[in-house]
Amino acid sequence: MNRGVPIERLLRWRHGQAEADAPPAPSAEHLLELARGWWERWPERFRAQLMRLRQMPLAYGYAMSPSERDRRGHPVPTLVADAEDVETYTRVTYINVREARFRMRFQVEGAAIRPHHAFDAIFVSDASESPLCAALAVRSHADEYRVDVDLPGHLVESWGALRVTDQMPFRMILRPTDAL
Amino acid sequence: MSVPPIWFWSFWHWSTEGFRADALLRGPIQGIGGHWDEWYRHEASIEERHAIDETGRTARGQREFIGWLVRHWAHEAQWRGEHPPARFVLAQLASLAPFDAWHGFDRYRTEYGVGGIAAVVLEEGSQGEAADVRHVEAIALPADGDSTSPPVVAEGFTADATDLRTVRDATRNVLRGRGLAFLLALWTALGRRPYPTSVAVMLASGWVVAAALIVRLLVGPDPGTSLRMLAASLAALWAMLVISGLAVVSAVAVQAWRHGRRCAEQLDRSQLRLRMEGGLSLVGGSAGLPFCINALVSVLRTRSARQSWLWNRVERGIRAEWRHWAATGVITADGRVRAVAVEAKLRAVLAHGGIAGMLVPRRRDAGEPSTSRPIPSAAAAPNAPSPRPRGEPPARRLGFAREMVSVRNYRCGHVAQAVMTVGALTSRWQAATRVLAVAVSVVMLAALPDLRAAVFPEPSPNVIAPFSASPYQVWVSLDARHADEFSVVLESRFWANRRAPVVAYGGASAAPRAELQLQRLPGQLTGDIDDGTVWVERRRRFLTREYAPGERVGRYSLSYVARLHE
Repeated sequence: MNRGVPIERLLRWRHGQAEADAPPAPSAEHLLELARGWWERWPERFRAQLMRLRQMPLAYGYAMSPSERDRRGHPVPTLVADAEDVETYTRVTYINVREARFRMRFQVEGAAIRPHHAFDAIFVSDASESPLCAALAVRSHADEYRVDVDLPGHLVESWGALRVTDQMPFRMILRPTDAL
Repeated sequence: MSVPPIWFWSFWHWSTEGFRADALLRGPIQGIGGHWDEWYRHEASIEERHAIDETGRTARGQREFIGWLVRHWAHEAQWRGEHPPARFVLAQLASLAPFDAWHGFDRYRTEYGVGGIAAVVLEEGSQGEAADVRHVEAIALPADGDSTSPPVVAEGFTADATDLRTVRDATRNVLRGRGLAFLLALWTALGRRPYPTSVAVMLASGWVVAAALIVRLLVGPDPGTSLRMLAASLAALWAMLVISGLAVVSAVAVQAWRHGRRCAEQLDRSQLRLRMEGGLSLVGGSAGLPFCINALVSVLRTRSARQSWLWNRVERGIRAEWRHWAATGVITADGRVRAVAVEAKLRAVLAHGGIAGMLVPRRRDAGEPSTSRPIPSAAAAPNAPSPRPRGEPPARRLGFAREMVSVRNYRCGHVAQAVMTVGALTSRWQAATRVLAVAVSVVMLAALPDLRAAVFPEPSPNVIAPFSASPYQVWVSLDARHADEFSVVLESRFWANRRAPVVAYGGASAAPRAELQLQRLPGQLTGDIDDGTVWVERRRRFLTREYAPGERVGRYSLSYVARLHE
């Protein structure tokens, strides 16, 4: 072993070798593609799901009129885009908007829905063809999912007044993160 | 705990106020897990998080927090007039940060820690293994106002909603409906009474003395003048025993009915949570019986049962002995227990080794009343020796003696019977005393007229109409209310002496009378046809036995009685 090689030269050699082995840096176009939501990457699918979601009624037809103390909340029409799209409802168990930060918890109804670690949650409305906002819904306690996201400015005021017992001004598309 | 954890009160108030402000859908008790997760992540201040970390830093701090939660917070905190069930709160928090890293919460991650009799649920393909004996816990939570939320929630397993609703209906039936009536009837007949052993022995002795007095009056020597004293003693003793017995039964029954009604109302306002390990999907309803008993105890636990001796006894009995009990049986909404196949389940219970008693449906093949046999291991079955050919001498085989595992089977046709059994409400010797009491009471009721006549004799009666028109018959009619307590005696030197009982012959105007047939004596001592005295005397009787005649209370000459009709 040649002990006369200076350490700087050795480091330069190692650096050059590492550069040669490293994969090429992603292009800016690819990075932009990755940053786009799935609904932008597959707009046709998103549109089909949106159409299907809009056909779901906003509320159950209860046979009995709810009493004053009845706090069942309003179910939110939801499409779970798993292996196959499943129509279901979610129940909002907590909602809070503070300093443009939207925090929500919800439970997905229906035993047929397999629990996931997280969903990519898309909030859509009947009026707009594009999502109102998107957030990561992480599984929390007892099949509850929590959302914590910055709210777009135009939603802060209207969503800030929402209560869990109100009818929600959105529908949701839930896509398991492991399916992305 | 030296310093109460203010941070937990902060969380609790955030939760209750969040619910009132409609920021939270679930109530602070039912939704406590999610509420804590939200509060701890986003609402707790830096100081509060620091205090929480400080509490959980040592095992002692964790233990003190749990103790404070159970002993203080759960008694002080209220939600809609109900105290939060501490065990449920602990179980909910145990899986959440930061408690999921606290070793003090370890035991609450898999159970509520409230105990409950085990269900024997066979896994698919199982022939009866120890693991098939599954620990079941039930807890009753104040229900939220959500009418769509299920009244019974299965945790750790899935079951048909109809089966779970049946469990709830059967529980309510035992608390309030016919099931309670059946339970009270069973307890009245066979149950232990709420007094100490000394009093029970004293009362049993009283019944024995009463029985002895009856025997003495029936077959003993004629009591003579002491009949009145004996009859009075017997009647007083019996009355005292009956009144005390009825008073105790009535008081306990009324208390049980009132408390049962309150608990049934509590059940209607509650959500039942049933927890069973194993992650099974239940097929069939054979776990209904253990579910129902545990649900019953969970509801009893929510209200202080001190006002009802019976329910208090049931709760304490099951709480003390649940480890040694297992049960199987399909129940109906009215609390009846329907038959299930029990052979493999018995094998599972025997293999478990920790079960001393098993509740099984009342059916013929549910096993012997008492089972005491070695564990028939399903795994050992394939290695069992093949049948020996006829004529071949038996091979010498080694036998390994092992301790016998004993499990006692209790057959139940109704949940009330199961409650009687696991609540240790049955007392054999008290039931035997009750059989004696019923027998004595039946005899006493039959003998009451005789005892009354002995203790409170009728006033002396007068002879009244009608009278016999026949010259050879004398009617002695009496104006007594209980004329059969008298007899009439004719003493004459011309006519044959006669004794006749006073009998009611019926008819609107006919008074009870004694009919004396007049027959001349063969060797008359006098020629006076009117010679004779008619005596009215008291009869002394006890049931079938007639003692020597008693006091003579009336004297009439024969001529007077015989000629009254003229």
